Amino acid sequence: MPRSVWKGPFVDGYLLNKAEVARASSRNDIIKIWTRRSTILPQFVGLTFGVYNGKKFIPVQVSENMVGHKFGEFSPTRTFTGHSGDKKAKRG
Amino acid sequence: MARIAGVNIPTNKRVPISLRYIYGIGPKNAVEICDKLSIPHERRVNQLTDDEVLRIRELIDRDYRVEGDLRREVAMNIKRLMDMACYRGLRHRKGLPVRGQRTHTNARTRKGKAVPIAGKKKVTK
Repeated sequence: MPRSVWKGPFVDGYLLNKAEVARASSRNDIIKIWTRRSTILPQFVGLTFGVYNGKKFIPVQVSENMVGHKFGEFSPTRTFTGHSGDKKAKRG
Repeated sequence: MARIAGVNIPTNKRVPISLRYIYGIGPKNAVEICDKLSIPHERRVNQLTDDEVLRIRELIDRDYRVEGDLRREVAMNIKRLMDMACYRGLRHRKGLPVRGQRTHTNARTRKGKAVPIAGKKKVTK
């Protein structure tokens, strides 16, 4: 079941401040964030976030059609390198 | 022979049943179309008048997304996910279930027919 519209999209509050600061500084630094559960809002478009996957910060350049998804969707938490003896699978 | 929305030629079945042969029209839409045009559900396609066939055709063209258009839309949605490199897109690329189902067993619809492990030595007694 989708989230009620009257609540608005879920975003961790401090993220808004962080994004605004980054916008104001107008440098294209990677903004490190841990909040994978936050929705990507229209005002984040164009910024680059480093979304933590439990180990590393995965750089995510936010584009227009990412709006409405969550940050976590763009930062995979599992690495699957293939089965042993599977010649087709490439090791990463 | 009734030709509605391109290639579909379902005949000698009841109208709400045969409309479902069109991609994009399921049980609900089929009944809805019949009700809108006040065609009785028991009517068979070969008993429809030319005028009724024409009205069905017009209604579908105007209000419903079917066949090629719908297929293209679905393909575009999947392509969007894949280009975005989000989790659902990655699952589509790998041909694995997208909505969090288990893959330890089952998931054969997405993965295709089971293949034996290549190169695994058989245990000989």
